[in-house]
Amino acid sequence: MDQTVNFREENNMKSLFYSSVALLALTGAASAATCPAVTVSDMMGVAAGAYPQQFELDEFQSLGGCTVEFSANPDSAALNARILGNPELPSLADRLPSEPLVLAPYDSIGTYGGTLDALSNATEAGTSDFMSIRHVNLVRYSDDLATIVPNVAKSWEWNDDFTQLTFTLREGHKWSDGAPFTANDVKFWYDNLALDSNVREKPKDYVLVGGEAMDVVVVDDLNVQFNLPAPKPGLLSHFANHYAQGFQPVHFLGQFHPDITADADANAQAIGFENGYAAISAYYGNSDWMDTATPYLNSPDLLAGLPAGTVPTLESHIIIAESTEGRHLVANPYFFQVDTAGNQLPYINEQDELFVGESEVRLLKLINSEVDYKSQSLNLDYAPMLLEGQEAGDFTVELKPEIALASFAFNVTSEDLAKREVFGDLRFRQAMSVAINRDEINEVVYFGLGRGQQYTGFSPTPGFIGEEVEQSYAQFDQDMANALLDEIGMVDTNGDGTRELPNGDPLVLNLQVATQAMSIKLVELVSQNWRDVGIDSTVKEVTTDEFRSAMSANQLDVTMYAKSQPLAVILGVSELFQPPFDNYFNLRTGMLWGEYVDTDGASGVKPPQYVYDMMDDINAFQAAIVGTDESNEIGARLVKTMVDSLLFIGTVKAVAPIYHSNSLKNFTEFQTQSYAYYRTYPYRPTQWYFSE
Amino acid sequence: MLQFSKFVAVRASLAVLTLLLVSFIVFTLMELVPGDCAERYLSFKNSQGAVITPADIQAERVRLGLDQPYVKRWAFWVANAFRGEFGDSCILRLNISQLLGQKFWLSLGLCLSALVLAYAIAIPVGILAATSKNALLNNSLRLVSYLGLALPNFLLALMIMLFSTIWFGESLTGLFSKEFRDAAWNWDRVKDFLGHAWLPIFILGWSATAFAIQTVRALMSDEIGKLYVTAAAARGVSGRRLLMRYPARHALAPIINSLGFDLNRIFNELPVVALILTLTEAGSLLIEALARSNDQQLAGAIIFLLTGSIVTINFVTDILLAVTDPRVRRSIVGG
Repeated sequence: MDQTVNFREENNMKSLFYSSVALLALTGAASAATCPAVTVSDMMGVAAGAYPQQFELDEFQSLGGCTVEFSANPDSAALNARILGNPELPSLADRLPSEPLVLAPYDSIGTYGGTLDALSNATEAGTSDFMSIRHVNLVRYSDDLATIVPNVAKSWEWNDDFTQLTFTLREGHKWSDGAPFTANDVKFWYDNLALDSNVREKPKDYVLVGGEAMDVVVVDDLNVQFNLPAPKPGLLSHFANHYAQGFQPVHFLGQFHPDITADADANAQAIGFENGYAAISAYYGNSDWMDTATPYLNSPDLLAGLPAGTVPTLESHIIIAESTEGRHLVANPYFFQVDTAGNQLPYINEQDELFVGESEVRLLKLINSEVDYKSQSLNLDYAPMLLEGQEAGDFTVELKPEIALASFAFNVTSEDLAKREVFGDLRFRQAMSVAINRDEINEVVYFGLGRGQQYTGFSPTPGFIGEEVEQSYAQFDQDMANALLDEIGMVDTNGDGTRELPNGDPLVLNLQVATQAMSIKLVELVSQNWRDVGIDSTVKEVTTDEFRSAMSANQLDVTMYAKSQPLAVILGVSELFQPPFDNYFNLRTGMLWGEYVDTDGASGVKPPQYVYDMMDDINAFQAAIVGTDESNEIGARLVKTMVDSLLFIGTVKAVAPIYHSNSLKNFTEFQTQSYAYYRTYPYRPTQWYFSE
Repeated sequence: MLQFSKFVAVRASLAVLTLLLVSFIVFTLMELVPGDCAERYLSFKNSQGAVITPADIQAERVRLGLDQPYVKRWAFWVANAFRGEFGDSCILRLNISQLLGQKFWLSLGLCLSALVLAYAIAIPVGILAATSKNALLNNSLRLVSYLGLALPNFLLALMIMLFSTIWFGESLTGLFSKEFRDAAWNWDRVKDFLGHAWLPIFILGWSATAFAIQTVRALMSDEIGKLYVTAAAARGVSGRRLLMRYPARHALAPIINSLGFDLNRIFNELPVVALILTLTEAGSLLIEALARSNDQQLAGAIIFLLTGSIVTINFVTDILLAVTDPRVRRSIVGG
């Protein structure tokens, strides 16, 4: 009853409002009204703009026939005072771009204040979920995970053959220290950080097109051009879903870069660093990840004399304290987004990240409502306890499909030649794949909510991948596994119940598990499955850091991690199909193949022909327009090669929990629980706020 | 007096020798872990996009001095360690002295507090237990101390956390509240620290107390039956005066002697408790470094510091004993 009344009242209000808008529109813009507080759930009669859920300022004002009046967080000055090195705060008009991005909040205009509490595992481990909350990039995937929308860039334009991408920036956009953000910052990031071998010895895959560098041209302060050596339509998608922000402050980092100023080393030495590059390393971590140690952690002895505690950012929040225990951040007073009522975003004043390495303790803290939002590292194992605690803890848990698939890989370039021969034998990998009882894993680990499948590289499965490809060698067939193992000469010669290598040496697989992305229960089941066909193994939990470094140092027999990427990501990033088939942070195999390819055969081990075929196909796939027959044909061929080689063995695609406090408002349900699209980024955490 | 100084000098040099010996063992153990710092460092470089070849690893070994003879590297390491310089952590890639900073002192503080707590309870209670004929008191004391010995610390910690979560909505983790985590030391931060530190001290202290009560009680029981006590009683000394002047004094000497050992035992239990309670001190770093990330440099530094503390305490208790126990004193200074 109450609701009906409210609804009617609201409708009356609305029609009253519409008529006044119409009236105003008629009387002309001279006396334009204040803009309506449009939300996604109630557009208040304002027509949708060019992109979902957000507007450019001019667009919004003309659609609404109104003027946006800006207001700032009343705590801005106090928060600014806590940012080491920031000058006094100018007025809001001098902080916002003259053309800010206008976001329509999901449900309501928020209120300022509060601290968002988050949990990560450790410094640089399990942090991407939290980082995505403050993340910005040139563009963004909207929450439909299909539409790319403007963010830092106001607009973009491709040329006809996808070899030139031009971004237009926002007039008056400023870094978190108040310095202007311009096209030069994009060029600096690309030329002087991403491609500088003193910063990174080898450029990352994502800054290259078919292995070649682009040419970044500053047209003017607001326009920057990426000139590509070959078509790569996925480059735009890359800037929408990737952690690497396509800009860094040249006014700040440039003062330490020898290509920008001749005084670079002197500037760095004046504040206690060995040279310019050392200062860049301390601030930038020589990585596009935003969780590398800041001077708060890596140079505490120099901190007092530094111009800033951390590098200026365009993100919604900036770090003001860091230790091995956690980090603390405050809202960026120069942030470029406003809501439809003209309030500068973000609403939430502070963020606090606590590092907790023990997963059981993390669970306890979640049940105890000590955290406001978390999805990374929440295995489905946690779901029953979390679901049960929802009411008492005043939080909500949603189960959403994952994108990455728990996968295993055998080290096809093992340092041990006897092992290398066996792991390199396709029949061995086929045997290991069909020895896995995926239905049992699904029941035991995923409560029957998942689905067994083979690793294909792509997830969700695009149309060009057929069911038979997705299920290739994913059946449970111990007889077949035993027959294949017998065939390659792995028999139990000494009668201890496990098979030996063909040369008679014992084989015990050392399964090192990083629980950040792999359920240990799943690994124990697989270990048992393999033992059932005579392949012995031991299971040991290690930190993600240890797992990654051991994997890349080529020290592991078997590597395992969640793996797969959506089509949108693969369009821009080819590493899944080039040895070692992923970056440092994810599941790799064939480290020595990778070395061979990278050194043009100077060292390493020559990969088989099918690996070269995949490398050709991924380049062709990225150059083709997605969705066309040509693209689908290449994609299907690419996946078939990947699946037939079984370099990676998929297990079960699952659902996983997303946890959020009920006091966190404007929180929309996610489509997936996954890293892809950079976690929370599509769902606009800058408009989250806390209810009283 | 001269002889006493000589005694102190001999003890001190023995302490340094012990420390050197232990450092050699620690260093050897660090060497036994597969994969050296060069490999770990370069796999990090690899994450920056660098291509790593065996030649690079070899070059890095030379740069880090890992190609030098084993004993020479140990001498270098130990010389730096005595200056409080432990180099960089391989995995965290941060300077160990900066990383450990006050963390080691926090750990030592927790352990020493637990030790003090344990003996503050164990000495009076142990003496009482040895002399009392009250069966109920004796049996309940025995039960409490057996529980303390039998109950694993991590289980106790988890139980307390679980109960606290259910009843008070507070999981009792960490050493500082959020607002004091990165603050400078001041009185409020000390108060906040004490508000968090009681739990680990209590958990570590309980098992230590249980152990200490048993020791004190056994020592007292031994001494009470001896002839000199009977003789003293026969001369009319009685009650508390008799206990404190004769058997208790003798019973305490072995306890002072074993303080270093007790500290070591408590520190051994600290990492597991610290891990459960997410305490950010050296114990949790040690287990992280040893068990999970194979960070030999960091683990070696922590073990060296711990050994240093134990050796120092042993040295101090030796001197203390020489001062308090007339038998020992006489054997040193003569007469």
